[in-house]
Amino acid sequence: MYFILSGSPIEIAFHFYPWLEAHSDPVAGLNTLSSCMDLADLSGDGENCLVVADLGSSSSGSLGSGMKLKVFRGTSLVSESSLLDLPSGLVAFFMDLNEPRVPALAVASGPCVYVYKNLRPYFKFTLPGLEVDPLEQEVWQQVRLGQIDTVALKDLLEGIRTKSELPLSQRSLRFLSLEPENMEEFVMMHQGQPIRRQTVITCMGTLKKSTADEDGVSCLVIGTESSEVYVLDPEAFIILAKMCVPAPPVVMDVSGQFDVEFRITVACRDGAVYILRRDYDKPKYCVELSSHCVGLVRVGKTVVVGCSDQTLQGFTQKGKRLWSVPLPAPITSMAPMRLSSRGFSGVLVALASCELRLYQDQWVLNTQRTPEPVTALTFGRYGREDGTVVMATQGGAMLVHILRRTASLQKPEGGGPPGAQSVRLNVPKKSQLFVDQTLREREQGPLMHRAFHRDLLRTRLRTAQAYSRALEASTGPSSEQGPVKLHAAVQGLGPNFRLTLYVVNAAALRPITGLSLCMLYDPALYTVAPPLLRLPLLAPGLTYALQTRVTCTGPALCDVIKVCVLQEGRSAPLLTAHINMPLPEAL
Amino acid sequence: MGLFDKLASWLGLKKEVNVLCLGLDNSGKTTIINQLKPSNAQTQDIVPTIGFNIEKFKTSSLSFTVFDMSGQGRYRNLWEHYYKEGQAIIFVIDSADKLRMVVAKEELDTLLNHPDVKHRRIPILFFANKMDVRDSLSSVKVSQMLCLENIKDKPWHICATNALKGEGLQEGVDWLQGTRDLQDGLCLCYIFII
Repeated sequence: MYFILSGSPIEIAFHFYPWLEAHSDPVAGLNTLSSCMDLADLSGDGENCLVVADLGSSSSGSLGSGMKLKVFRGTSLVSESSLLDLPSGLVAFFMDLNEPRVPALAVASGPCVYVYKNLRPYFKFTLPGLEVDPLEQEVWQQVRLGQIDTVALKDLLEGIRTKSELPLSQRSLRFLSLEPENMEEFVMMHQGQPIRRQTVITCMGTLKKSTADEDGVSCLVIGTESSEVYVLDPEAFIILAKMCVPAPPVVMDVSGQFDVEFRITVACRDGAVYILRRDYDKPKYCVELSSHCVGLVRVGKTVVVGCSDQTLQGFTQKGKRLWSVPLPAPITSMAPMRLSSRGFSGVLVALASCELRLYQDQWVLNTQRTPEPVTALTFGRYGREDGTVVMATQGGAMLVHILRRTASLQKPEGGGPPGAQSVRLNVPKKSQLFVDQTLREREQGPLMHRAFHRDLLRTRLRTAQAYSRALEASTGPSSEQGPVKLHAAVQGLGPNFRLTLYVVNAAALRPITGLSLCMLYDPALYTVAPPLLRLPLLAPGLTYALQTRVTCTGPALCDVIKVCVLQEGRSAPLLTAHINMPLPEAL
Repeated sequence: MGLFDKLASWLGLKKEVNVLCLGLDNSGKTTIINQLKPSNAQTQDIVPTIGFNIEKFKTSSLSFTVFDMSGQGRYRNLWEHYYKEGQAIIFVIDSADKLRMVVAKEELDTLLNHPDVKHRRIPILFFANKMDVRDSLSSVKVSQMLCLENIKDKPWHICATNALKGEGLQEGVDWLQGTRDLQDGLCLCYIFII
């Protein structure tokens, strides 16, 4: 055993640990989510960078300080620039066909998408404003003209808020939340500007425009707080398509090409997953989840959803559930793992119990410990290595794991349904008799059921009767009349046997006297000497062993010898035992 | 130089040595081999190797046949088919690529544990290449990260190199020529030749 372990540590390691821990920086200071992380070749030299939209540190006072766009190359941070607003998504995408093929970055924050080219701000796209209640607009107009004061304004806005179908604008809501002494100042400051209602981007994805190439031009797909999904043209930044979903989308996955056919899978805040398709402005399919979605990943034709009830579920593209697996801890992050060079696709799931799991369908291929819970992870080409997973942990550390070239990504043996399940049963063909019988059963089911029950009850009654008769006649091995128990043992091969009878007085205190044992047998087959044994006084609790010789005289047959326990002055035996004699072998 | 070597050089015979040149992609294997070739045979533009190339060059006493293997992930499984023929190994490391040092170590461990290499005293020359790049690791650091001190049954040597300028290459080739194991293995051949 020692030799095996010391002789081949490498082979053992290959098999169990597919990841090489390439880099770990515990003080990288990353605070981000999977949606704000991407891998892209920003310099065009074949060496991919990690681009992170950092949410900043929430510890240093207000949320929204130190929001940065960070670029990592290899083990070091190469670029850092400030972001104006809290980012909600980051994607790298090709917006034109210019050479060299360097992708642009899109950072979604608030109602805007900021597009960066060569890490410089290039374009800002703002989502169209939402419809404003005309009454609200009217009220603010009057304020500007000085027709109503702040108290009246407050009352009017309160009224609009309760009655109107449209929600109030940001400004009105802010105004209503103010203390009365600050209202005047607020109104003075803002009354000059037109009133607007803006939505907020909740998630972002990319969709290839017309070709499926790796570096094809892509459209941006944006999900908003107002429950809409937009597809943007990459060059002119106009809205190509607008779709509505029943609730604000949270996570999305996009596949296909805009000009050909595409699917947008969105998990929404109402705990359902909707599948949108080309030429439909409403969801085509809907999946009601058992609990809220925390992560959504598409692997081939399967949509894998991580739910907040600690399950991982697989669905078809039409929303049919294929499988569901329970997880030991809540999911903190998910990412697809597509390795085209090896034809592998799976899902990486990070759990709150500091684990990184690799799933292929419902099978766990590998579990790797991480020093801390992972909050963001992405898989792809980093540096020059194709199979790399980059992670950001709760404490801000950055971890890079590289897949071993020799790692086996096979489903574990014994995974999946047991082999017996796939064996076809030898079901006989349906005969005419079978069909007739089935028809009869269908038509006269209640009658047959009743007949069966009648017979069953009758059998039970017979059994009970026979049992009570046996008890009354004391022909069983235990007796109702006296607390005497009897059991017997036969020794020997034959034709001579020794029959040992064990008698116990099971009474608590009283001894029994005047008992004898009597053997009843077929005299043609056996002789028993002596056939009658007198029992001594039976003290309670003791076992008395009595022996008698049985000789087989007749032909070699098995027969029963009855042993009766008799009491003086009683005609019926106290109890009877039946002893099955063995076949005499020597005859 | 031994008697046979002198004899061989008088006769104009040079010993043939098969050398495998291994290492990750973009570490500079082809560039190094290109630098070792005579200046009139050198090429100007180096492209990523597909599969492998066979190059020949001569030093004062040896005639090297180098198998310049491709380091790309999808071609690395070709390496092991040539281990048997190799009488020496040149392992090139990109000392500026800290992230993939662990991958280089992994490939080296696989190489050292291969049955065709494991029980042979085959000399291994390490080139810690790209010394000119800023932030590159020193040869000592590289040998620490690859745990070279654990190689006890094979002669090995590490040189810091800059293949673009050819710095440090000659030192490594001189070491390779002088290793006893390479000499011993070849002496038998000369006896037959003579």
